[in-house]
Amino acid sequence: MIVLADGRRGLALGIGLIAVGLAVLAWTTGMWLGGALLLAGGSVSIVALLRTGRQDWGLMPAGSTPRLILAAVGAVVSLWLAASVTTGPGAPLRFAVIAVLGLMAARLLQGHSAVAVLAAAAGLALALAGASALGPNDAGLAPYLLAAVIAAGATFLPVPEKRGA
Amino acid sequence: MEPELAVALPAAGAVVTAALRPRPRAALLVGGALGAAGLAAILLAAPGLTSDQLGVTLSISAMNRTLLLAAAGSLALVVAFAPPRTERASLLTWGLAGIAGMAAIAVAPDLDMVILLTLAIALLHAALGGRRGLAARLRAPALAVALLGVGLVFARVEGSPLLARFAAVGLAAGLAAALGTLPYIHEFDPEELTAASPIAWIAFLGPILGLAIVTRARELVPEAAAAFGAMLIGLGLLNILWGSLASWLTEKGTSAWHYSFMADWGLVLCAFGIQVADGRAAAVLILYGILLGRLPLYLWSRQSLRERVQNDRPINLLAAAMLAGSAPFAGFAARVFLLRGATQLYWPLALVIAIGLLLWLPPSLRLGRSLGWPRGKLAVGAGIALALSVAIGIYPQPLLSLAGL
Repeated sequence: MIVLADGRRGLALGIGLIAVGLAVLAWTTGMWLGGALLLAGGSVSIVALLRTGRQDWGLMPAGSTPRLILAAVGAVVSLWLAASVTTGPGAPLRFAVIAVLGLMAARLLQGHSAVAVLAAAAGLALALAGASALGPNDAGLAPYLLAAVIAAGATFLPVPEKRGA
Repeated sequence: MEPELAVALPAAGAVVTAALRPRPRAALLVGGALGAAGLAAILLAAPGLTSDQLGVTLSISAMNRTLLLAAAGSLALVVAFAPPRTERASLLTWGLAGIAGMAAIAVAPDLDMVILLTLAIALLHAALGGRRGLAARLRAPALAVALLGVGLVFARVEGSPLLARFAAVGLAAGLAAALGTLPYIHEFDPEELTAASPIAWIAFLGPILGLAIVTRARELVPEAAAAFGAMLIGLGLLNILWGSLASWLTEKGTSAWHYSFMADWGLVLCAFGIQVADGRAAAVLILYGILLGRLPLYLWSRQSLRERVQNDRPINLLAAAMLAGSAPFAGFAARVFLLRGATQLYWPLALVIAIGLLLWLPPSLRLGRSLGWPRGKLAVGAGIALALSVAIGIYPQPLLSLAGL
């Protein structure tokens, strides 16, 4: 959604999907509080996106076919990396983290709108917190807390909005 | 408790200085006092000892502590001898915020936290405002975060041995993107305020961030440490060549300084890639040179660059010699260590680096001239920077001992 949308509603939906997905994955590994923090960070980010600025979806505007192809190819490559190239438990988390990191990096490179870049940064923070569960040692709550603060704070940064005619 | 204080005191200083901005003298006084207290906390923090007061295990390495002290020294030098018409309280605010961020990176328990902290700093830095758009300011550091994150994931998952090499690629690429060296040079606007420009990443935040990533990457992928080192050397040589040639030939004086930072980082990357003690010593000395020499001189030359004033006075020639790494300045000792380390690793590499070192001369003469004719406070500041460099160059051992080398 973050790759495909330009409008605030579309970006908010994207952040929401990332937060819910990673929170559920954290809960499956027993990180109840960590998952709740991700959900809280994502929720604040959504509120910040929907509170100000022009409210529109901006889904797949004209000329966004390359973005659609990028999202599909990104998902397939991430699935291949998570399920085939890498082994061991936690394949869904590996898929989610690799897909979000890869697609957010792509969004950052091709995005010229400040709102989209900030939403991508919020998505990055949530994915990095998810990645901490892949480590051999228990990372504790610190990465989840920091990621939630970053995701919540990113969309509050003042952004100059383009005004209509 | 020292690691926590090393982060908290400069952060509090930044907040108080920002709050007291309408009263610049009070802001400087309180911010300076809190910054000095933070510096004391850094100095007193025993390397290797862990602190668990906040539920997160924090510790600081000797090398990190040394570079933090250099960054604090650089900030003190720049604020105390700020160019005319510079808002010193604002400079101190952002400098203290940077020191707090760097201290947090230096004491962070793992790479996860380092990457998240880098993202937080990138967002705050982008929020500073400037001539470039927010998307342009955030793009490269956030891309670095994504690359480092991908490298971290590949380092942690099980599977083919090739994954460790992919991890090394992600970490090396992320490091280059965070610093703003080739192949990810940050978009640079010569007219932009220094605190909001990519110079903040390459010259101020970069040394601590680079050290944190390199040391943790080696622990994370020990089986790909040689490949990681080789990539750093390759990137280093590329940046030496590109940075020094571009610094010499580019039209704009401010851009020439930007490229000269890249060239210096080329040497640092080579030094980090050479995994021997001499390489680490060279890296510490060059990073000291960036923080205490090149960065203050760059700030002091901004005014004369704007006025297109050039001079060939003795101070300009001395500055050029320091920037070129001639004897007896610190850059010379660093280059000797680097060549000795490269010879231990693979002697043709030393030959290539030695040829690369010759490229420093023409751009350094140009940069030295661009300092104009520093008078008053600026002349004192330039004198202190030159004296510090000579002292470190003649007798670098105390500094290297402080860094645990």
